[in-house]
Amino acid sequence: MRKSLQNRAGLLASPTVIYLAIFFFAPFAIVLLYSFGMIDLLRQLRPVFTLEYYIEFFNSVVPGVFARSILMAFATTVACLALGYPMAYYIAVKSVRRKETLLLLVIIPFWVSFLLRTYALMTILDVNGVLNVTLSSLGLISKPLNLMYNPQAVLLGMIYNYLPFMILPLYASMEKLDKSLLEASGSLGAGPLRSFVHVTLPLTKSGIGAGSILVFVPSVGEFIIPQLLGGTESFMVGNLIWTLFLKARNLWFGSAVSIILIALVIFMVGIYMKRISKGEEMTI
Amino acid sequence: MKKIGNKILAGYSLLVYAFLYVPIIIMVIFSFNDSRLLAVWRGFSFKWYESLFADPTVWVAFYNSIWVAALTSGVSMILGTMTAFVMVRYSFRGKALLDSALYFPVVIPEITEALSLLLFYVFTGIPLGALTVAIGHIAFAISFALIVIRARLVGFDRSVEEAAKSLGANELRTFFHVTLPIILPGVIAGGLLAFTVSYDDFVKTAFTAGPGFQTLPLRIYAMASRGGVSPQLNALATVTLVISLMLAVVRLRLSKSQA
Repeated sequence: MRKSLQNRAGLLASPTVIYLAIFFFAPFAIVLLYSFGMIDLLRQLRPVFTLEYYIEFFNSVVPGVFARSILMAFATTVACLALGYPMAYYIAVKSVRRKETLLLLVIIPFWVSFLLRTYALMTILDVNGVLNVTLSSLGLISKPLNLMYNPQAVLLGMIYNYLPFMILPLYASMEKLDKSLLEASGSLGAGPLRSFVHVTLPLTKSGIGAGSILVFVPSVGEFIIPQLLGGTESFMVGNLIWTLFLKARNLWFGSAVSIILIALVIFMVGIYMKRISKGEEMTI
Repeated sequence: MKKIGNKILAGYSLLVYAFLYVPIIIMVIFSFNDSRLLAVWRGFSFKWYESLFADPTVWVAFYNSIWVAALTSGVSMILGTMTAFVMVRYSFRGKALLDSALYFPVVIPEITEALSLLLFYVFTGIPLGALTVAIGHIAFAISFALIVIRARLVGFDRSVEEAAKSLGANELRTFFHVTLPIILPGVIAGGLLAFTVSYDDFVKTAFTAGPGFQTLPLRIYAMASRGGVSPQLNALATVTLVISLMLAVVRLRLSKSQA
């Protein structure tokens, strides 16, 4: 009986497992082979194992691009937290019906792709965009401002796109917050600020953690936003990988860079997962 | 004191909501602008939509997007349902490992996934085109569909299945006549999510499409990065947006109908 159950589970899961093994995991194995120089120009396996592409990595400008990406992702996370935290709190303390509407308004932008939302920002920031045209027709500027193709525009685009990813887990953790604890701390003489720092903030830590990881991790490898809103000096790892593969056709070095990015992401998610399993609960 | 605090909080939240919505609303409004210049309002007009719908390449891109998404959705729905059953109802050795492997496609940066697939196609000599795009979309859409279907299956009351079986129905009959109708809203919601992630996808498509195949996001990107903003692009973006939102509303309805 037990054996037949096992067999059935295997039968049901195997199409997915085989599919992912071929079209998801095998491709990563090929990236690994490329990064160690084990595949040559003619796409043949060769009995070579070299670390030269990883050594090249540390001697190139790429670590600087990584640092810039991490910095950009960090700034995005902090800004999303600053914008999202008060808003999540505002939604969480509303009545049930208003809560639903307000929450839906956070979720709707989720349904619009990054590409479309980034383009929507372009219609405002472009040289011929709404902001420049409005300002010049009001006579406030004599020539159009360059609002795009700089790091600030990229940061704005990142915050704009990633903000809902921060608000939803924050909201989830605040929703569960027992309001009577706040009343208790208030009646014991704590001011609003003190209640916030000693009660609300520690109890919403899991939401802050989940939201931060949901914003930070994907934004390190972001591609579309810096590609459309940034100039070459604000390019991030994702753009570099794109250039290495599709423009420079440097598959070996590009593979090494990708492996390092993947390792970084797995490392960050791993730390987070470990912290969760140590007792902090996940809220998403 | 508390009242002022609440007012500040409400005002702040209103500003954040405005930040989220103003760009999209402006994009939609200026798609109806009669002027050639994007941001100089000259009156209401459908002319950019007319020129959009008169452009055969837009129709081709639209057609490509839809059928790739439909194929992705169908395959992900079937494989996702099968896998969801295994993950919810069976315990076996290596389940934890399989579980994290199934979440991988959601976590890994899409750009690395995209280029690994490109290298795979190059290495194996598979020619790039419509099919290579669909194969790639399915590889991450299964995971998204699985998450939704699995969540629905967890709350399933198994006593109805036992009732069917005690009345003489075999496994297959029980599945198609009892289990499937009950979890169907979840299965369809999972399929629609797979449809949406495929329909919206840019990065993986760009890497795996090859020169002859274009979807709507590829076309929007090409126009946006080449010529910057234009009312015609606003119109195309608005049409794409409306389809995404419609899909999401159906998905929301379905997941509510089951809960």
